[in-house]
Amino acid sequence: MTVPIGAPADAEVDAPARPVAIAGRRPWTGRLGLHLTLAIISIVWLLPTISLLISSFRPEAATNTTGWWTAFTLPFEFTVQNYLDVLSRNNMGTSFLNSLLITIPATVIPIMVAAFAAFAFSWMNFPGRNVLFVLVVGLLVIPLQATLIPVLQFSVDLGIVGSFPAVWLAHTGFGLPFGIFLLRNFFGSMPREMFESAFIDGASPTTAFFRLAMPLAVPAIASLVIFQFMWVWNDLLVALVLVGGFPQVAPMPVTIANLVDSLGRNWHLLTSAAFISMLLPLFVFFALQRYFVRGILGGSVKG
Amino acid sequence: MIVMLVLAACTGDGGGSPGAGGSPGAGGEGELGGTISILAVYADAEQESFMAMIQPWLDQTGVEVEYTATRDINAQLTTQIAGGNPPDIAGLPGPGAMQQFARDGDLVPLDDVIDMDTYSTQYDQGWITAGTVDDQLVGIFTKVSVKGLIFYNPEQFAAGGYEVPEDFDGLTALVDEMAASGTPPWGIGLESGAASGWPATDWIEDFVLRQSGPDVYDQWVAGELPWSSDEIRSAFEAFGAWATDEAMVAGGPNQVINTAFGNGGDCLFADPAECYLHHQASFITGFFEDNFPDVAVAGETYDFFPMPGIEFNGVTTAGDLFGMFNDTPQARSLMQYLTTPEAQRIWVERGGAISPSKEVPADAYPDETSQRFAEIILSAETTRFDASDLMPAAMNEAFWGAVLDYVQDPDSLDGILDELDTVQESAYGG
Repeated sequence: MTVPIGAPADAEVDAPARPVAIAGRRPWTGRLGLHLTLAIISIVWLLPTISLLISSFRPEAATNTTGWWTAFTLPFEFTVQNYLDVLSRNNMGTSFLNSLLITIPATVIPIMVAAFAAFAFSWMNFPGRNVLFVLVVGLLVIPLQATLIPVLQFSVDLGIVGSFPAVWLAHTGFGLPFGIFLLRNFFGSMPREMFESAFIDGASPTTAFFRLAMPLAVPAIASLVIFQFMWVWNDLLVALVLVGGFPQVAPMPVTIANLVDSLGRNWHLLTSAAFISMLLPLFVFFALQRYFVRGILGGSVKG
Repeated sequence: MIVMLVLAACTGDGGGSPGAGGSPGAGGEGELGGTISILAVYADAEQESFMAMIQPWLDQTGVEVEYTATRDINAQLTTQIAGGNPPDIAGLPGPGAMQQFARDGDLVPLDDVIDMDTYSTQYDQGWITAGTVDDQLVGIFTKVSVKGLIFYNPEQFAAGGYEVPEDFDGLTALVDEMAASGTPPWGIGLESGAASGWPATDWIEDFVLRQSGPDVYDQWVAGELPWSSDEIRSAFEAFGAWATDEAMVAGGPNQVINTAFGNGGDCLFADPAECYLHHQASFITGFFEDNFPDVAVAGETYDFFPMPGIEFNGVTTAGDLFGMFNDTPQARSLMQYLTTPEAQRIWVERGGAISPSKEVPADAYPDETSQRFAEIILSAETTRFDASDLMPAAMNEAFWGAVLDYVQDPDSLDGILDELDTVQESAYGG
């Protein structure tokens, strides 16, 4: 098969592509404004990250005394010393492991609980269902900081303070309202007929949940995983309060924060530390991103 | 593990005679065992020095340490106390916060923990007073810094033909001479995140102490002297005469506000000089050497003289307080150990610390600069702790904000001082 030059062959087959073809016939000036706006927004959006990246390769004295944009003037001064310094600091390896030990359960547990709860809120009839749901969604507006002291007291009473289960439980609690909200709307938008026919065929709610709802909810769950994973991975406050910051249990954000001494010196190391700690979340994001956009819109348009 | 071994090695060859006399842990408990939780602001190199300091005690008692570092010590401590999970021992945010913790009954009084007779011979009364609330000792100082020092670059001084002034009139004349030559004399930076403005409060404290004397200073700290009084106003004005004048400060008042405190003295090292003088506490030398690794050399490209007295002489200081929140045998033993000259000498020898203890000799300091810092503290006739740190937290924060407003708009001083008076009325009440 020969490939025709340009896109007309596709445009004829693929209806939505037609406007593109028409726009292509018009001079490109029509879209210039759009492209320019997009380019400017992207640059403004990326600027902080780019400056962070550039700073992370600059020597300490340069970072401390001049702005990152001066990096491109002579003499060029770039170094990987910041990365070597961060990686060789106390316990960065232990902290990475601690972060995983905190983040994975603190992502899996709330999402499992949220999925069960959301399914019940969508497809099971029980008294007080709507009141309970409104209550759970209402919890979304309570700031985490306001609950920190009662949660700490509770952990002290349970005797789990200073150990990982304390953070797992806390993150489960903090993550549930949003998880339930997102998943309930996603489950709720699934066709009623599908569940009705399943129930008529004798499926129990458990079967309907595992065989029907869950496979269809993969995009929503994937985006929830991304949210929860990033939130827990980057969390400093909850971990510092509930497990403490001593090296045996400190996760990455705590260890990274401690690169800076009491007078604020060594902050240049935060630049490279930020990129190092970003690696795993980026990996998770790119692994799940094809579900992400679909999932974040989950339930927003109810068909 | 490796870190611990390295630390042990460091203390082994650097730390005087830690294991020799058995003096650490004055009670002579021997094998104490158990654990101790410590919360403090020391991270990175400071953390290593702190751990080196307590290592001989750990070796002797067999206690395991759980050390947590945080820069936001006030919030962390408050949360942990309210949550029923305070650390055994913690660095305190400052004397103002210490009073709050002590009056709330969170801090364990140290009168029967520390041998007060020995303590009062080893420490100047000023340090004991600063750690005392309602006649009970609750906080001890492990390491202190000297404030109100004026740093300069001897090479630039030589190039400009300037000399270190003998007294305050000499300083004023020198500053005017520099300004007349076209280069602003002062480099000032006030930015410090949420605590922005504190370097200017140091300036004003120095002026209050030197213009109006220690008695006025104490009344001001205690909230008994209004901010709109002549004494405080003239301290603001003396600072403003330099910090808000384009000809007197590098970059003008705008740069004063926008420059991080750690970069405030950078202009000393510019070539040709962009400023000649920088007013800051003793710890700023670390910033000089970080920012200009090959250029900043003590005694050659930077040196200092204490801010001269005006009507009165005096030295302002700051320090790191430790308090005990859980009355455990381990915590008692460590508090005793931290006050000993043997312990403090370890950090002093590693550099970056000045000991408040009279028993740590000048030759323990690793270089001439820190020796001179220590001598200023030990020989001063009047020392006063940083006033803003002694004030209640609300007052302290209002003070930080007020100096920033003042530098931006010096003409609004009346309104700023009235506002501070209003805060003063409520801040001391509770």
